[in-house]
Amino acid sequence: MVLASRRANSCPSATPKRTGPPAPQRPPGAAVAGVERNVFYFAWMCAAEPAGLNKSEATLELPYSRSTGPVVGAFLTGLRDGRIVGARCGDRVLCPPLEYDPETAAPLDGEMVEVGPGGTVGAWTWVAEPTRKHPFPHPFAFALITLDGADTPLVHAIDAGSPDAMSTGMRVAAQFGADRHGAITDLWFVPEAEAANQDITPGDEPVTVTEHLISLQIRERLYPHRIRFAEGLRRGEIIGQRSPASGKVFVPARGYDNLERVTMSEADDVVVADRGAVSAFTVITPVEYYGQKETEPYIRASILLDGTDQAIMGVDLRDIPVSDMRVGLRLQAEWRPSAERDVSGLDNRWGGAWESVIERWEPTGEPDVDPRQLQDYAF
Amino acid sequence: MAMDRPVAVVAVAQTPSYRRYDDGEPVLIMTCVNDLLARTGLARDEIGFTVAGSCDYLSGMPFAFVQNLDGMGAWPPIYESHVEMDAAWALAEAYLRLQLGDVDVALVVGSGKSSPGRPREVFSLQTDPYLMAPLGIDPPSLAGLQARTLVDAGTATERDFAEVVARSRRAALDNPNAQVKQEVSVDDLLAAPYFAAPLRAHDLPPISDGAAALIVAAGDRAAELAQRPAWVHGLDHRIESHHPGLRDLTASPSTALAAEHAGVHDGPIDVAEVMACFSPEELVLRAALGLDDGATEVNPSGGPLAGNPMMATGLVRVIEVAQRIFDGEAGRGVAHASSGPCLQQNLVCVLTGERTMSAERA
Repeated sequence: MVLASRRANSCPSATPKRTGPPAPQRPPGAAVAGVERNVFYFAWMCAAEPAGLNKSEATLELPYSRSTGPVVGAFLTGLRDGRIVGARCGDRVLCPPLEYDPETAAPLDGEMVEVGPGGTVGAWTWVAEPTRKHPFPHPFAFALITLDGADTPLVHAIDAGSPDAMSTGMRVAAQFGADRHGAITDLWFVPEAEAANQDITPGDEPVTVTEHLISLQIRERLYPHRIRFAEGLRRGEIIGQRSPASGKVFVPARGYDNLERVTMSEADDVVVADRGAVSAFTVITPVEYYGQKETEPYIRASILLDGTDQAIMGVDLRDIPVSDMRVGLRLQAEWRPSAERDVSGLDNRWGGAWESVIERWEPTGEPDVDPRQLQDYAF
Repeated sequence: MAMDRPVAVVAVAQTPSYRRYDDGEPVLIMTCVNDLLARTGLARDEIGFTVAGSCDYLSGMPFAFVQNLDGMGAWPPIYESHVEMDAAWALAEAYLRLQLGDVDVALVVGSGKSSPGRPREVFSLQTDPYLMAPLGIDPPSLAGLQARTLVDAGTATERDFAEVVARSRRAALDNPNAQVKQEVSVDDLLAAPYFAAPLRAHDLPPISDGAAALIVAAGDRAAELAQRPAWVHGLDHRIESHHPGLRDLTASPSTALAAEHAGVHDGPIDVAEVMACFSPEELVLRAALGLDDGATEVNPSGGPLAGNPMMATGLVRVIEVAQRIFDGEAGRGVAHASSGPCLQQNLVCVLTGERTMSAERA
């Protein structure tokens, strides 16, 4: 049975009782080159690599140090020491171990029982195209493995060589890496007949913290208005957008007026002044964190460019003494020579990459703008 | 809790499911929100509560959900909330919020762009942070494990999986918003190589960018806003253990329980939209919801296999059912949404064209 096509547009709704303004435009992206319609499936693999220069790549990293507690700590300490343990739960042994009975939620007494290293495979799947995060760069199996002595299975990886070597019910055995950290990645599994005897020296202290680096890659094309903004910076121009609804000028533009809830297009682009006044600033004292590059206090400022309604933010100012910084200070951009302007670091997400195109912001010597006129423009 | 106040979906909107959308998520959202306001004639400040579902990890930007408010219009300031989940759960929050009696109209928004990142890596972060996430175990691999249990138990075959895919793509031909649509034979599908055996790449959902939104209203306000509202007969959601080894992966007990409490069995089901992102899931869900294959049309939109704008996918299921009630094609329907690996958490929403009070449920 095939339903007759019955929708003229893609945003249906109940028949309205009240009339309203006509339906607004389709999303601008729908009309812009770069939106593809796949006739064929696309598996859950890496995003298609955008061709051309107008793309941005970013890595989002979150390095976690996770404390472990009595049960997970005992389990991970065991792995570090070349042993696998489960938790006694009545007449069952749970592996991976839990603090509570999964059926009743009653707390368990904490007795740990050694299990494995051999076990039996329940369900399994063959990973034909491993991701960067998988335990092996070559195809392998993930499986539910019930270790000898345990009554519940754990999820882990089997380096079996070929899917032909895999079957439900097969025997596997744990192998421990030479370099162990007290993490689930300290071990893997192989078909039992291939397992090597291992002589593992246990560690001294219990594992109380386990490290997990989350690292995600984002790769996307620059949005059309960001491309125009980048090209403007290369030319020595700052491009904003003037809202057709309110006349307010946004910079850098986001392709829409969020106050009036209307999208904007190239027709709304305007060149804005490259001079303005400090509307807010902060002096940041560097603290130590993963990825920190700063060592001395530094200024981040918001500058309201003349004729605009939105301050540019996060402007790095190194040439103005902190003692001279004040809200209302008038500044003029001194651009880098054209050949030195670099917008390659610009992405869709953050501000303007100002340092890579503007060498410094020079106080103009003019009288300050009254700070009271700037108080609504800190962000 | 007794749901005393009848609540109905009065307007829906969705963008197409794009393979890649080269502009920001707020723009996708803005399109839907403006559409809803235009169709209902509501002013922005007549919406008493706004709640969105989205995933910052998917966007790869901390607090992306805050920037998404640009699309919803947050000036003058609005009363809003957010769930880091599929927007079907944002609907659950809106439904509960309206029960308190002081708000009559709510806006629910779902959005996500899967194209810039690597969903296989992002969603492995949903798994146990100590025992599974460091292995990078990804949703297709987990779905492969579930598929294996179904085949080993004799509950389903690879041909059954392929039939789900073929049905989905054929149905999607009639859906202008769907991304993957074609006539394809089961034998051709079965000839493709494995990706996460026993699953093939076509058993997985596509990578999609998109957004969806709807307006719910309570009682008489709903009747004012739409000629034929889609009334919420019941809404319930349940979750299972996050340890796959502790679950029966051949069934979905949380879906069955949610279905019971949402009142699926209180009447016939004309249409069901289920969030089966992997083909075996549709078979598990049909059984868990107790659907009558002969009487109930399942996933006439094509379902998530035809378009999967993550974080909006579940809300789109509600939208597809609601639309058919608006159009008079269905009198009663069930929408299902899922979160977590192998159908770990499930939400069931029953919509009807008739205004009834849902019975008190335990």
